[in-house]
Amino acid sequence: MPSLTDLEQFLVTGLTLGGIYALSGVGMVVLFQATGVLYLAFGAVGALGALVAWQLTTSSGFGFWPAFIVAILVGGVVTLAYGMVFGPALANRDPLVKATATLGLTLILLGVMDLLWPSSGGASRSITVPTDSNTFNIGDISVTYTNVIALGLGLAIAGLTSAFLRFTKLGTAMRAMANDRDITATLGVPVRRVTAAAWFGCGLLAGLAGVLLGDLVALDATTLTFLVISTLAATLIGRLRSIWITFWAAIVIGVVDAELTPINSVSNYRDATPFVLAAIALFVLNRRAGISVGRQGV
Amino acid sequence: MFQHVPRVRLVLVLTALAGAIVLAGCGSSKSSTGTTTSSSSSSGSSSSTSTASTNTSSCGPKPGQPATGTPINVGTIDTKQPGTDFSDGPNMINAYFACVNANGGVNGHPLKLYVEYDQTQPAQIAAAAKQLIQTDHVVAIDGVFDLLECTIDQSYWKSLGIYEMDAGIAPECWSTPNSSAVNMGPRYSSDGAVQYGLSQKPSKIVFVQSNVPGTGYIAAGPAALAKAASVPITELTENVPISDASSVALNLVDDAGSNGWVVLNFTPPEALVILQAAQKLGVEDRVKGWGCSTPCDTDFLAKALGPKWNHKLFVNAEATNADDHNGPEMQEYKAILAKYGSAVAGGVGSFSQFGFLLAKFFVQAVDTINPKDGYTIKTVNAAIKGIKDYKSEMLCQPWVYGNYSMHIPNNADFTVTPDNGKMITAQGCFYVSSNDPQIAQYRKLAGQAPITNPPTS
Repeated sequence: MPSLTDLEQFLVTGLTLGGIYALSGVGMVVLFQATGVLYLAFGAVGALGALVAWQLTTSSGFGFWPAFIVAILVGGVVTLAYGMVFGPALANRDPLVKATATLGLTLILLGVMDLLWPSSGGASRSITVPTDSNTFNIGDISVTYTNVIALGLGLAIAGLTSAFLRFTKLGTAMRAMANDRDITATLGVPVRRVTAAAWFGCGLLAGLAGVLLGDLVALDATTLTFLVISTLAATLIGRLRSIWITFWAAIVIGVVDAELTPINSVSNYRDATPFVLAAIALFVLNRRAGISVGRQGV
Repeated sequence: MFQHVPRVRLVLVLTALAGAIVLAGCGSSKSSTGTTTSSSSSSGSSSSTSTASTNTSSCGPKPGQPATGTPINVGTIDTKQPGTDFSDGPNMINAYFACVNANGGVNGHPLKLYVEYDQTQPAQIAAAAKQLIQTDHVVAIDGVFDLLECTIDQSYWKSLGIYEMDAGIAPECWSTPNSSAVNMGPRYSSDGAVQYGLSQKPSKIVFVQSNVPGTGYIAAGPAALAKAASVPITELTENVPISDASSVALNLVDDAGSNGWVVLNFTPPEALVILQAAQKLGVEDRVKGWGCSTPCDTDFLAKALGPKWNHKLFVNAEATNADDHNGPEMQEYKAILAKYGSAVAGGVGSFSQFGFLLAKFFVQAVDTINPKDGYTIKTVNAAIKGIKDYKSEMLCQPWVYGNYSMHIPNNADFTVTPDNGKMITAQGCFYVSSNDPQIAQYRKLAGQAPITNPPTS
């Protein structure tokens, strides 16, 4: 068994990844609330943004920060384009159909990325956030500013989005659409503008998460695309509604996943963490809902 | 619109979907005995584009005269899927064949390569083999760069009397009578990397590879070497793609300890994320050293790692470093690549080097056939099986096929290390240790071929 000090080191990496899963989860929840779409292309869009940033920094003479902003915008524009083209056509379909349609976008983006940034000949790429080299110590544990930024961004975006949904006109409109899109439209809410804002915002977060995960995990299209699973689990625990439950679920998933690494007997199974936690949470929540319904029935 | 029922249904379906994906991605745990396939890419190496100006007409018997006879059909099956694209291998073979065809061909016959790509589906690979034989009428299988092919098609080739030439991954590429590889593959390359680590007298080896079927077969080699050296070894596997590289890097360093040696057996992108994570965490110096099997032998990796890893990471290399070495054969390879190899995306590197060798050895072999006997499965494969002592600047030893129950003709290697964005030779040709029982068995059958290639001459 690893020592407590060893586990503390893994806590930092877990909180960092948890922070990014959290900001990703917030984007997915907001989009689902506004449009009813579970955006499974989130990871692929993020990967595209990260690879564009890599391209700009390695062969176009861009500095990291301008390329970072371009990557975020790429995420926003691609997602907005998908939402504006396919969103209206799918608006009245079952949520499962809408989610599956985003898998189509995922596959297209994966193909495009494989074409533009092939992995043949042993090609491997990396992107480095400048704050990786700025570190400080907490006891024996080394922490980079990227770690802090990742967790801080997750927390800030969860907080700001919560406030946005609660206190702004656009946010209120998004919440209203979550309840009933048609009635909301008849009340004069500009549905198209509201959904566009949700698509664009979600895409911006995808681009942001893509670059951070490209730095912290791997700048690889397939890897980044499928990291959406951890985020997806967090959003499911939040039942695609609660931003704060999604936030905390993402943090727990990141931390548990990391802390299981040094425990050899379970280390190879830690990738199941998101699914196991989601299954447990849904089981407990459904049980509570069942009890609640039962009481009402009595 | 978003009523409760569809939402619940969506949540439940997606939970099941996520679970299925996660469970599908979850393999076995560590160290088991050999099963089917192995991990990581076969090779992967270096470097920059070529400026070679060598005349390419030497690749054929009649310079400048195109071959116009009936084609000799050759087949290959190669993995090409997102994340694992070995198409540089067959593309280089095509480049070499184009050069031969432009300069007289094989006794006037042009060579035609039929390439079947697969996405690691056994049924697809088996069907591809039948397609090549029954529809394309190929007479030989040359240049297989594939994760599974050797496992799937061995019995089929045996039944037809075909002797395939490959740069493989699966154990059967080395352990069966009808396959011979120009590369070493993950097991013997990992042996080489561990062997270098052991020569630095560490107190412990930590060997880690991707968690895919066949890891037990690969891990048996390094385990045997460490045991013979009385050095403890921990063998770990990691699910790929790696989603938490920092945790993995921390775990390896903690496990190895300050006098330990960490050896990776991953594809370049996976190895890179672990090494970079170690660097970002500032733990790369908390072990005595790092090693890696052949896939890390790439300038992409050396560049991405940067100077902090200069002479800190030691990578097993199965072919001569194209940057270090510029003899006549290397110049010919670079010239053919420059003139005919526009489809070789990775340019100079061990994928294309192995493609070059597989094409060159094949042409040398069919050149020995009497044209009156024709170019049939029987005559061509007899020529392939008869390959003996084909020397190359790119390999440490002469290459041989022969009538053996197993084939590990490439069993002496180099070690390279990053040096300001390039891989340079750190150790000349050395024999992979016979403490690996498979190597010992092959040398007993075929003898120990002499090392004929000074590495940095």
